Amino acid sequence: MSTPPPSHWQPERVPLCQLPAGTSGRVYELTGEGQFKQRIRELGFGESAVVTKVSGQSPVICRINGTRIALSHGAASQILVERFGAMT
Amino acid sequence: MTSPVLPFPAPAPAASGRTPVYALVGNPNCGKSTLFNALTGLKQKVGNYPGVTVEKKIGTVYSQHGQPMQVIDLPGAYSLAARSPDEAVTRDVLLGRRSDTAQPDRILCIVDATNLERNLYLVHQILDLGRPVILVLNMMDLATQAGLQIRVAKLEKELGIPVIPCEAAHGRGLIELKVAMSRPDLPLPRHRWDIPSPIAPAVSELQASLVENDRKAPLSARAEALLLLTDQDTIRVAGSTPLSGRTAEILRSWQKRWEGEGTDWAATLVSSRYDAITRLCADLVERDDRPSNASSTSDRIDGVVTHPMWGWLVLGGIMALLFLSIFTLAEYPMNWIDGHIASLADLVKESMSPGDLRDLITDGAIGGVGGVLVFLPQILILFFFIGLLESTGYMARAAFIMDRLMSRVGLNGKSFIPLLSSYACAIPGIMATRTIEDSKDRLVTILVAPLMSCSARLPVYLLMIAAIVPGDQVPILTKVGLMLLMYALGTFGAFGFAWLFKRTLLKGVPPLMIMELPPYRLPRLRDVVLQMVERGGLFLRRAGTIILGISIVLWFLSTYPKAPEGASSQEQMAHSFAGKAGRILEPAIKPLGFDWQIGIGIIASFAAREVFVSTMGVVFNAQSEDDEDTAPLRQALAAAKWPDGSRLFTPLTCLSLMVFYVFAMQCISTIAIVRRETNSWRWPLFQLAYMTGTAWLLSLVVFQGGRLLGF
Repeated sequence: MSTPPPSHWQPERVPLCQLPAGTSGRVYELTGEGQFKQRIRELGFGESAVVTKVSGQSPVICRINGTRIALSHGAASQILVERFGAMT
Repeated sequence: MTSPVLPFPAPAPAASGRTPVYALVGNPNCGKSTLFNALTGLKQKVGNYPGVTVEKKIGTVYSQHGQPMQVIDLPGAYSLAARSPDEAVTRDVLLGRRSDTAQPDRILCIVDATNLERNLYLVHQILDLGRPVILVLNMMDLATQAGLQIRVAKLEKELGIPVIPCEAAHGRGLIELKVAMSRPDLPLPRHRWDIPSPIAPAVSELQASLVENDRKAPLSARAEALLLLTDQDTIRVAGSTPLSGRTAEILRSWQKRWEGEGTDWAATLVSSRYDAITRLCADLVERDDRPSNASSTSDRIDGVVTHPMWGWLVLGGIMALLFLSIFTLAEYPMNWIDGHIASLADLVKESMSPGDLRDLITDGAIGGVGGVLVFLPQILILFFFIGLLESTGYMARAAFIMDRLMSRVGLNGKSFIPLLSSYACAIPGIMATRTIEDSKDRLVTILVAPLMSCSARLPVYLLMIAAIVPGDQVPILTKVGLMLLMYALGTFGAFGFAWLFKRTLLKGVPPLMIMELPPYRLPRLRDVVLQMVERGGLFLRRAGTIILGISIVLWFLSTYPKAPEGASSQEQMAHSFAGKAGRILEPAIKPLGFDWQIGIGIIASFAAREVFVSTMGVVFNAQSEDDEDTAPLRQALAAAKWPDGSRLFTPLTCLSLMVFYVFAMQCISTIAIVRRETNSWRWPLFQLAYMTGTAWLLSLVVFQGGRLLGF
């Protein structure tokens, strides 16, 4: 990896839209308006849910708990995830 | 503090003699409609919840012993905390808030077994309601394929309710389900979860008030209290009984207190439910880690259809196919219907003595309703395609691809299907806006949908194009080019006005689109056809009745007052109310290049655009049997003159008239549907004004601009 690795106890935090396709992360924080957060939590997207990004910029398609969910770029940018270490 | 659900006595089983009423609930895409169709077959009644335009479907199931049971199919919902009118109806029926629908005795909860955790969220809320519940685990075959083993017996024991594994699509598990449904002694859920202690006092106080002041059953009141406390922005829909003053007061005081504390109890409650579900599922579901075939196939398909370039090509191809079939396949049944309507009219003409009553029946009633019936094949084909695309799972992807484009004008991808449908007819298009969650987005979509060139404009375009290009052989390229120009004009107009409305009248934050993408499935033809027939029937009932009324009024206006004996139909038209109105209208439309005779056409076609063609036939006295066969009418139009002897239908006038029909709201059925869907006269009247205003203005620009340029 060319980027310097972050201190190992602090995982990399990115908005879901920036998570590279094929990698996974854990939802760390939801930002934005209350109704949006409530619905996204009810869809199983709550804090600590594990997300795998399947593809895309807009729409962002990701898999969560066995469901495929598509989000517009705006929605995906409001979901912050902790990226899991590079997959081996 | 824990507050487990107390073992309240079960609500008395439906009194003998009354059929038990089940509510069928589940997430979208879990096979709910398939199960409903499989259970009730064709014994369904489709109606509306008064005041809200959400379809109300009730069917009858017969137990193995022939005992009838009612099932209400509630709209799909992810949660009782409603986000759309559809979900609000589901919530209100389950909570017994609707005066038009009694709280169901029992609840049939259907879940997608391949996605148990997410689906159990709604179930978890429903178990709180204190009604007997039967859980249906649908798509067990797909779960097995995906390597999931679900311990059904254990789930049954944990929840204390019957759990029936089932494959609704193949009819498996239905007998077991019917047996469970006909049990007289369904148990109440034995389900416990901990309400976070700080909110428990609020829940109890609100629950007590709901029982006392709103006459709710204790358990149902507890569920409602939880919902009210944690979902402040609750969507209210018409027909839902409001809270009593006392309850509303308690609710406000708690909400204020929590606002001050700054704790997000809604989030805490969602996660506490999910925690309970995760604990439950840990013991229930065994996963083997072999990669599932179904999901990787869906991934591969998605790789193509949501690809930045291939995605557009696929969507474009499908849309081209859709249009091609709407305009070619529909031709034969349309001619057939046209023929039968004509022979029906002839039959009446032969069997009745001439007179006004006969003309009223043939020209008013049969002609008017026939005008709508003729479009039925196109509308059925459209519904069939939409149903097909929905049942394969592609529609959700199409909406997403379009989201990129739609978001530029401030709409989201869910407006795509309504706008697409509006190319066939604005009525099904406007009905399809019900899936749009945001009310402003829905309204904007409704307002611009009639700008998409519908098939009723086709006869007008065809006639005008034929009149523009003289001679019998219309060069095909000119014809197609002009036609495309009109479609493009309408489409860009719709997007332009959507953009304008979102920036002025109906300002709102651009919606954030989140949507579940169901796995690709082979379409279920039976369900698609059932849905097509059902939607087609609704269309006929809504449009047909209005058209019938208006046709009779228009017939009256063009028949009375009677011209002197022996007048031709042309003179009669000139003498009638419609003719007089045409003359009154002339000063307003003369700058557009139209005379009073065209004015009659515009007035007459106010009910439905295609009426313009037949009216022109009467006005210029060139009757032809077929709207599409424009040859005699074309010659008559070519011969039409202004009083000063100059040609009336110059190419410029024809173009101006076409532009007028692209934008003008010449469709009484659309006005009626918009009135129904928006529940007020304000929006249909606004729509009528802005569309007709735009039509007038643009026709003026075309005609006067063209004249300045020397045409």
